[in-house]
Amino acid sequence: MKTILEKGIIFYQGKFQELDKLVIEKGKITEITLTSTKAKKGKVVPAPKKKTETSATVIDCSDEYILPGFIDAHTHISLEEEGVGWYDADFNESFGLATPQVRAFDALKMRDRAFNDALHGGVTTAMITPGSANPIGGQCCIVKMVGNTAEAAVIKESSGMKFAFGENPKRVYGEQKKFPSTRMGTAAVIREWLMKAQDYLKRKKTKEFKEREIKLEALLPLIEGKIQARAHAHQADDIITAYRIAQEFNLEMVFDHCTEGHLIAKELGKWKARAVVGPTFSSRCKPELRNKTFETVEILMDEGCVVALTTDHPVMPIEGLSVAAAMCVRHGLDEERAIKAITENPAIILGLDKRLGKLEVGYDADVVVWDGHPLDTRSKTKAVFVDGNKVI
Amino acid sequence: MSIIFNNVRIPMSGTFFPGQKVLVEKGKIASVGSMIRKNVEKVIECEQKYLIPGLIDAHSHLGLFESSTSVDDIHEPFADITPHLRPLDGVKMRDRAMEDARRAGISTCMVCPGSERPISGICSILKTNGNSADVGLIVEQAGVLMSFGEQVKVAARNGEKSYVTRMGITALIRETLMKAQDYYAAKQSKKMVKDREIDMEALIPLIKGEVAMRACAHRAEDIMAAVRIADEFKLKLVIEYGTEAHMLAKVLADKKIPVVLGPTLIPRFRYELNEKTFESAKILMDAGVEVAFTCDYPGLPIETLRVAAAMSIQYGLDEKRALAAITDVPASILGVEERLGKIKKGLDGDLALFSGHPLDIRSRLEALVVDGDLFVFSDELKIESGS
Repeated sequence: MKTILEKGIIFYQGKFQELDKLVIEKGKITEITLTSTKAKKGKVVPAPKKKTETSATVIDCSDEYILPGFIDAHTHISLEEEGVGWYDADFNESFGLATPQVRAFDALKMRDRAFNDALHGGVTTAMITPGSANPIGGQCCIVKMVGNTAEAAVIKESSGMKFAFGENPKRVYGEQKKFPSTRMGTAAVIREWLMKAQDYLKRKKTKEFKEREIKLEALLPLIEGKIQARAHAHQADDIITAYRIAQEFNLEMVFDHCTEGHLIAKELGKWKARAVVGPTFSSRCKPELRNKTFETVEILMDEGCVVALTTDHPVMPIEGLSVAAAMCVRHGLDEERAIKAITENPAIILGLDKRLGKLEVGYDADVVVWDGHPLDTRSKTKAVFVDGNKVI
Repeated sequence: MSIIFNNVRIPMSGTFFPGQKVLVEKGKIASVGSMIRKNVEKVIECEQKYLIPGLIDAHSHLGLFESSTSVDDIHEPFADITPHLRPLDGVKMRDRAMEDARRAGISTCMVCPGSERPISGICSILKTNGNSADVGLIVEQAGVLMSFGEQVKVAARNGEKSYVTRMGITALIRETLMKAQDYYAAKQSKKMVKDREIDMEALIPLIKGEVAMRACAHRAEDIMAAVRIADEFKLKLVIEYGTEAHMLAKVLADKKIPVVLGPTLIPRFRYELNEKTFESAKILMDAGVEVAFTCDYPGLPIETLRVAAAMSIQYGLDEKRALAAITDVPASILGVEERLGKIKKGLDGDLALFSGHPLDIRSRLEALVVDGDLFVFSDELKIESGS
């Protein structure tokens, strides 16, 4: 099965250009021709080729915009299914303190309406993480927005380990009258488990090793550098604490939320930090959000950080991802970088930049056709392809 | 005791075949056919009534719940992982429900602890005729019951347990199975002699693949969590309840995972029952999944097993497969198809005689035989002794 998108404006190699045709075959993009390159070559498609193309579906995209599927690199989609309530809240294992062994992948609910909403918002891939109640919250996964089972949607079952700094763990355990109720306590819990994991790794290589411990097993891929640390941190000092721990244990770390990132932009730039910023559209509902601004993204990008935007669904609805990018444009960011913040950059942050985030030959055919400029809030998705299948 | 059923209809290749005789001797089916001549203690003249294998409910808490009280021996609410609980130690054979089961034509039940804890105990297969559970016992360790989803979450929340999400439940089960694997490995390596652990011992047959993981799961996601764990630990798997199993018909068919389906005749009183439909059985069977019906006693009265099969016919299932889903399919899911589920020479003498078609709810059970023990429920039944 072959699909050909003809004409229209494509976001290609970092800018909007005029498309001649984009060919999708076997779930991948197999050809992209621009009108400019075609004009240069001055060649018309040779006649014999037409025969093979008779089986192809051709879609005329004149006056429409063709973009890679958006990626939200930090969500909780379906962990708390919408419109259901407590029964389907599988968000925080909030009495467990350190729960590296729990996996978001085991609580996905593929019939959550949010998956469909995501597609309508042009989002085709999302990272899904446990909540931020625990200093160590559990394992994140990466899935596409289609599939009857989590297995059918999966890109990575376990892509990262969630850590939380700042107000959330402090509040949750403080209210339970348990340790930790300070930022020091939270850092100590995290450090304690990472130390244990390091020692466990050493012990596992010796002959005395007998029985596995599930929590430490879960931390091994992190210690060995196979998965990334995802640090929930809003306040500047919490971001720095997270970085300190990452240095101590040699972790590959991504900063999630990064609300006060602009206050320590120089430092983050020096660290070549990767940050998933948002949900900026929320209210300043807790003290650590007091300095929230849509300018953070541009400031961090100017310092050389890789920045992606997030809705943190269900904190903000997933359809709002392109709206968040548009808000950054309103606050001074250029359109191209705003689009990169929901395509290329999250792909880099998730380690999927060889597959996703761009329209390039050989990349997954996650392609969205918009009936107008994607950052114009009035525009609508007209067609959505995931792995070459037309899902909308 | 030897019994002969004369002039009876028995199920044969999709229909009921009239004019048959069935001989039961020493607790077994000794002969089936139209030309049996034999001196027996009891002759039952059946006048073209319907004889089927004793019905089997592959998932129940029969005898663990105490009828007419609020007392049960089903749930152990203050412990999460109790694979060492044995139904045999809690079954009350003189409970009224046991008589109700016999009156409903049920000769065999899988009895298990409750589904409110991640791992609640082993499953045992019992007949309904015994005076003590040990007499009726067919297989004691026939599986390990595990539970996923809403019920476990609710119970955990009410009990203020340390896990309240699906991720937590799955992690707890995974942790236990990891321990069991390591325990079994240590036990096998002769160097490491160690003290036995009662819960780990109960899991060894599961780890070795001798018995199935019986996973209680309603929602598709919870079913997939069970499938994932079974794959990871290379376990045999049976899905219990399976309210949304029809959404995964292909996955379950490909992996050859049977479903013990039900209870369907209940209201949607929990969110996880939202997609409940009587069409499930047909969808699953058409895809090639083995399906048995259950009434999950006391989820539903034990008498409703036959009703579940009849309701599925109303929603498009054929009679043959509906009947198989309460006789030979549960026998095969329980791994006792060599003994139960069919009217065939050599199998256990478990037979139910109905006044009319067994899936017509108006039909009355007239007699039940379990291991050759005769229970008569109709005054009009013509029984003569010796000839």
